[in-house]
Amino acid sequence: MMRTAKLCLLFLLPLWLTTGCWNLKEPDQLSFVTGNGLDLTEDGKLEASTLVVVPTGVAGGGQISGGGKKESFHVISATGANVTEAIVKIQAKLSRVVFQGHRDIVLVGQKLAKQGMGETFDPFIRNAQSHIVSLVFVVKNGNPKDVFSNEPMFEPNISIALEKEQKALGFKPYLSREFIADVMSDGIQPLLPAVSLNSTKHFSYSGFAILNKDDGVKLVGFLNRKDSYYAAWMTDRLTSLTLTSFVPKGDGNVSLRLEKLGRRIRVKKVDERIQISVHLKGEGTIMENNTNLDPSKRKDLLLIQDELSHKTQKSVQLLVKKVQKKYKIDIFGFGESVHQQYPQKWKTLKKNWTKIFPTVDVSVKVDLQINDPGITNSSLNKP
Amino acid sequence: MKLSGTQLVWIMVTTEIAAMLGLRITPAIQVAKQDAWLSMIVGGIIGVALTFLVVHLCILHPNQTLFQFSQALLGKWLGRLIVLPYLVSWYILTAVLLRAFADFIHLILLNKTPLWIIILLLIGLVTYLSYSSGITGIGRFCELVGPIIILTLIVSFILIVQNLEMHHLLPFYADSEWMNILKGSIAPAFWFSGQFVLLVIVSFVQNTKKVLSKSILGVGITIFIIVTATLISLLVFGPNLSAKLRFPYFSAVRTIDILNFIQNADLFVLFILVFGVIAQASLYFFIASYEMANWINVKDWRRIIWFSAPAIAIITILIPGASAFTLFDEFWTTVVFPVCGIGIPLFLWTISAVKKKA
Repeated sequence: MMRTAKLCLLFLLPLWLTTGCWNLKEPDQLSFVTGNGLDLTEDGKLEASTLVVVPTGVAGGGQISGGGKKESFHVISATGANVTEAIVKIQAKLSRVVFQGHRDIVLVGQKLAKQGMGETFDPFIRNAQSHIVSLVFVVKNGNPKDVFSNEPMFEPNISIALEKEQKALGFKPYLSREFIADVMSDGIQPLLPAVSLNSTKHFSYSGFAILNKDDGVKLVGFLNRKDSYYAAWMTDRLTSLTLTSFVPKGDGNVSLRLEKLGRRIRVKKVDERIQISVHLKGEGTIMENNTNLDPSKRKDLLLIQDELSHKTQKSVQLLVKKVQKKYKIDIFGFGESVHQQYPQKWKTLKKNWTKIFPTVDVSVKVDLQINDPGITNSSLNKP
Repeated sequence: MKLSGTQLVWIMVTTEIAAMLGLRITPAIQVAKQDAWLSMIVGGIIGVALTFLVVHLCILHPNQTLFQFSQALLGKWLGRLIVLPYLVSWYILTAVLLRAFADFIHLILLNKTPLWIIILLLIGLVTYLSYSSGITGIGRFCELVGPIIILTLIVSFILIVQNLEMHHLLPFYADSEWMNILKGSIAPAFWFSGQFVLLVIVSFVQNTKKVLSKSILGVGITIFIIVTATLISLLVFGPNLSAKLRFPYFSAVRTIDILNFIQNADLFVLFILVFGVIAQASLYFFIASYEMANWINVKDWRRIIWFSAPAIAIITILIPGASAFTLFDEFWTTVVFPVCGIGIPLFLWTISAVKKKA
């Protein structure tokens, strides 16, 4: 019995010796990457840039030390044959180990997007350390480095700023894992938000980038801001939306803020031809009224409601036409709707969907409902 | 050595869940896509049937292990021969399990620790657990950690709810059809029935009356957890992406992010996985040693452990790595399971039934 006990102790002994302390990584040994950027250089090489947080700069630095304000971030970039090689080169410029576990954002430069960014996703999912809930943006007319160097007004660095701005604009966060799931599915083409720098080097959100996943996730074009809202509405990626539209009968503009948005895509089969009807619904409050109508009266309210619904419907119809004609890419996920509603039919359509999509009949219906005219009745400017 | 009915339930739950969460979800999704959860349900039904067969066979021979009743039924030599494939598979299974888990820990947590140290530590723990008190100790261990495992998993299910997207499951049934759903269900079915360990451990349960209901309950809990985990993996990543993830449920837990505050919940899942794998490896290790002792006619099964531990350590280290697992998995599903999980039990059951009538 004693012998057994001794043997067991002997077995348990290594547990004290092998606590894994050599695997220890203290925060002061890591350089936290909060943003990753990918782009091509002038001569076509892959360039990765990282937005590294400088902890002493973030923690209120200036006020405590009393000295000059320390920078809260640094942008470092390097080229390489692939993402990992570039990151290894970035490591050469940093005294702390590059740690991607807190990455919030991935920016893809327009040049790389144009050439196709399909090859660059692998390390982001494969690496067990990598954070899979980051957001992906395309940089319009620029490269990630410049966006990263931008010092935002409120936030310590741009990646937090972009993340918050998306929310403030009313978009649901579109995470990298959702993006990759869309890239890998058959019936929808991914839409990525785009960010650009204006002439004063301030960043601004600038619509959606259209990508073609069948062609190496290549950038096809950009939707303008207004169209992006509609596209987001149709793909269920929007939480709120403000519409402003001219009401001829009231001779002025009305702004409506929609807080409750819904969408339904129905697929019908008429003589073996696919027909798609999109039904968008929104409920909201009047924010501004420059007309001579009084929205607290039911008749005028309905008039405004119908006019706005009609105008929005027209714009959405135009958008669908434009996407079908110009880009020929199914960003609305109509293919996925066909897949879900007519799975057998989809098996034959799947291969040719890119050819079929531009010719599909799409009808759009928009129903807006004004729940509240606001706390005034007729316009304050007009009697 | 004794085992209570409740311990039997928790042994089944603890030893099956970890391996199934880690190894069985991706293959099912690769075959049956968004209908993989249906595969799991179908697999569960087949698993219950197989469990029924095995347990019923054991009930026909109360308080006898596989070796003992196959001796009684087939005589000295044929009885020995028929147990041989079981011994081989339990030894290899323990090694593969430890290797797969050591690789996983190496990848996720301790990448600077040499692999063999992780393996040796795991084997040390497994040896300790089975040597100290045999199946009773394993039973108590499972009774203790089983509820923790279930609770942790259920909490993770709840936390993940806001990341789920229903459209990933659509269209229902149409894409894979029954052929693929059935194909995806075969491997889970064998795992649900518990690696035919029941053939041995049922003999330790004193109250034979409750054995059947308890073992079905154990399988039932496992099925519920695995079906839910499969559903969640699909609902978070969609069928195409999760088919490419090696540990989709683990990755799904990593996506938990509630108010930027509750994050990195994967740590909890990782540590319950350690419990599960230790329990499972100890169980196979014990059964392999115990039956081996019977097989070579050694009275004290503990002495066999000093042979089993180094043998398994060597096999574990010799396995070439992740690429061998798929090959092993295929061999397991196409050869070992049909023979050890269905063929031999069915054969023994028929003989028992015939002998009983005669």
